Amino acid sequence: MFALRPASVFALVLFGLLLLDMSLVGHTLLQRNSQREQEMYILTETLGISDLCLATEARYTRHLTLSDGIAPFMDHPVALEHFPSGSFYGRVE
Amino acid sequence: MSLGFQKQLNILDYGLASLWRRKTKNICVIIVFSLVIFLLSSFQFLTGALTSVAEKTLRFAPEITVQRMVAGRQEQIPLAYVAKLQNIFGIRGVEPRIWGYHFSTVTGANITVLGLTSFDKRLEKSLLVGRLPRFGQAGEVVLGQGVVRDLNLQNRRKFALFRPDLSQKTFTVVAEFKPESELLTADIMLMSMADGRDFFNMSSDFATDLVVQVANPAEIENIARKIGQILADTRVVTRPQIQKTYSLVFGWRSGFGSVCLLTSLAAFIILAWDKASGMTPEEKREIGILKLLGWQTSDVLAVRFYEGFAVSVLALVLGCTLGYVHIAFFEGVLFRPLMFGWSVLTPNLQLSPEIHLTDVLLVTCFSVLPYLVATVIPAWRAASVPPDSAMR
Repeated sequence: MFALRPASVFALVLFGLLLLDMSLVGHTLLQRNSQREQEMYILTETLGISDLCLATEARYTRHLTLSDGIAPFMDHPVALEHFPSGSFYGRVE
Repeated sequence: MSLGFQKQLNILDYGLASLWRRKTKNICVIIVFSLVIFLLSSFQFLTGALTSVAEKTLRFAPEITVQRMVAGRQEQIPLAYVAKLQNIFGIRGVEPRIWGYHFSTVTGANITVLGLTSFDKRLEKSLLVGRLPRFGQAGEVVLGQGVVRDLNLQNRRKFALFRPDLSQKTFTVVAEFKPESELLTADIMLMSMADGRDFFNMSSDFATDLVVQVANPAEIENIARKIGQILADTRVVTRPQIQKTYSLVFGWRSGFGSVCLLTSLAAFIILAWDKASGMTPEEKREIGILKLLGWQTSDVLAVRFYEGFAVSVLALVLGCTLGYVHIAFFEGVLFRPLMFGWSVLTPNLQLSPEIHLTDVLLVTCFSVLPYLVATVIPAWRAASVPPDSAMR
């Protein structure tokens, strides 16, 4: 019976995984909608949007660019910055 | 096929067969290794996709936004400031806006209320159904999908919210933003400026901020500087500043990013330390036998190199695949609790991560290279001792 050598099996497994990756990326690219992107641009321009809507729990995570900088004790002299999403974003410069 | 290549292929075969003999242990290593790479690559794909969306979208952000600052905080800006800006050459228009937050005591959601003086006709393309609010009709609003979910309106078109003085204001939903735009509009309630002013009980002489349109984008910085000189108590935020913020804000320097990176580094250091601290007696014996059979030290090193290469490359591809699926198809579900925190209104992300060579190289440098080094060095130490002492 014909048996594959270990190197061929390894190459086949790797090739299969890379093929899967390519089809996943291809699927995502096909889903990308240029009309959606166009509408996003119009929304940003006409509404004057300056921030992505990600964390809405605090004003300085909702509007990173237009609110005061994130700093400990910013809300009150004894109040530490405690919103969890604050740790996801880097320092706003 | 050349003799050298055939030899290397045979050594690779031997290495892979040797891995397969200890399959339980090696499969466990690949699983743990893949999970660490999954964490690294997921974070990289997520932040890359968010940065890319921000980069593309915020090219159209307001050219200049003027905010009044009092005691280091943003305050309402007098409409009289608009007249002071009219004389600056290069300004195409100044539009006051009213915006702010409404906290729902029932659901705990923060709704972003936005009131404008005019609505661009092009906005209609972004609406799911319905029309833009009419300025003669009080209380007409357009809602983002997050607000629609939060208010649980179902088929109702009317709802009421409390003003700051606890009196009620009734709103009529005339349209909803499309779900595809949730990354920008999920928490927005759009209305006319008069309604916004009425809802926040704001004086008619003030606005929240001023949006300045500039005729020539190359002059943004100059005009911003002039505005800063004329209106000394204001903060002037320009479009390039907004874009710069979003190019830096997602990355390894954030608290969570550092945790991801340090966790992965710690995992690799433990793995490398375990490998480098020595080989098992069985492995040393195997090397002794190979050398007795006539294998050179370089051949033994090649076997160990191929073994390490096979394990790390397989784990790299598996980890990156899982990371991609996690972000593209599951909206980064494992990161959502931290990324959104206690937010009640959250968008559906619908991200399409882009694969950059730099991302793959970064993950490779943190995973494959340390593993290869940690595999080859102890093998070189064992292979350089005489075979008889290695077997003893």
